Amino acid sequence: METIAVYWESRIKTYGFQRIPELALIELSCPISVIKALGDILTSHDMQGLRASFILAQGSDRELSFVFCLPEREGMGFHAHLEQTGMPTSHRYIYPVGIIFFHGPHFGDRYGIAETTFSAISKEGIEIIASGCAASSVYLILAQDDLDRAEQVLTKTFEVAK
Amino acid sequence: MEKVKLGGMKQSLELCQFDLRGQDSPERIVPRVSKLLASQKINIAFLTYNKLNNESHQLTILLNQCDFTRSSELLNTKGTLPRGWAMQSRKHVGILTVYPHRNPLKILGCVMVLWAAQSIPIYGIATSLSAISFITDYQAIDKGIEVIQNSFQLPDDHAPIKPELIYYQSDEVKRGKGN
Repeated sequence: METIAVYWESRIKTYGFQRIPELALIELSCPISVIKALGDILTSHDMQGLRASFILAQGSDRELSFVFCLPEREGMGFHAHLEQTGMPTSHRYIYPVGIIFFHGPHFGDRYGIAETTFSAISKEGIEIIASGCAASSVYLILAQDDLDRAEQVLTKTFEVAK
Repeated sequence: MEKVKLGGMKQSLELCQFDLRGQDSPERIVPRVSKLLASQKINIAFLTYNKLNNESHQLTILLNQCDFTRSSELLNTKGTLPRGWAMQSRKHVGILTVYPHRNPLKILGCVMVLWAAQSIPIYGIATSLSAISFITDYQAIDKGIEVIQNSFQLPDDHAPIKPELIYYQSDEVKRGKGN
């Protein structure tokens, strides 16, 4: 069944903005040939207590580059555990970062959401460290100090459904 | 051994993937590309953006497969991308989204192990509220679903995995009989 939706919104509606401050960002690259080994590490007992607030992976040049955002203490533990396995090399460790995330009706099914979000953030001169938009949600990873400004500009740009 | 529980699973429509990589002016790439696509009413079904280990930045976007040709033409038009940015594309991909009941890190690791054992490729991953989305070949999605169904426990009454409703955004309002 196909449904054709017509959105006539002066401001795009969202269900509100959530923020997660005080996170560590760990980036690592893994050759695709050893992706199974990284999967084994992530399923190991030592990793099970870790709560990742956000994860993304991008493929390029036969590698997958991962970003993990975790609370600082867990990030340090995650980083140390990866070092012990001798597996992928951590390339970046950034602290503190924060996440702003939000979702709304039919995000991912309709055009214009990404343009509205990233244009507003870019106009404010806020640097986006990483981002993931999937399954109706928009996740922005920013420097901790930029969270307030980002939330202000997004609140002006989008309408929060009441 | 008790299977790990999942809250559910969902697959996307058939999509295409564009990976844009470059070093210069990374702050411009996402606004510029998203604005261009929105001006042509092209929906971005999935997006990731990050800095890679070689100082380049990468923007990955997934669009409907039917938008591949005109999106390729738009993005390949001279002057669209900042100087030094290159583009690679891949047709016929799809997203499989799993909804962890608990332990998303473990489920992520399990899917990586299981799919690697079956040579099911992973072209990208992103998590969101209660969900983990995996990009793979569209033709491999059924196999990916089968592998996950065999290894995880889904609720008896879980929602359909394949999309039953397809949403399109339109500017036109068509009136039928009786309206």
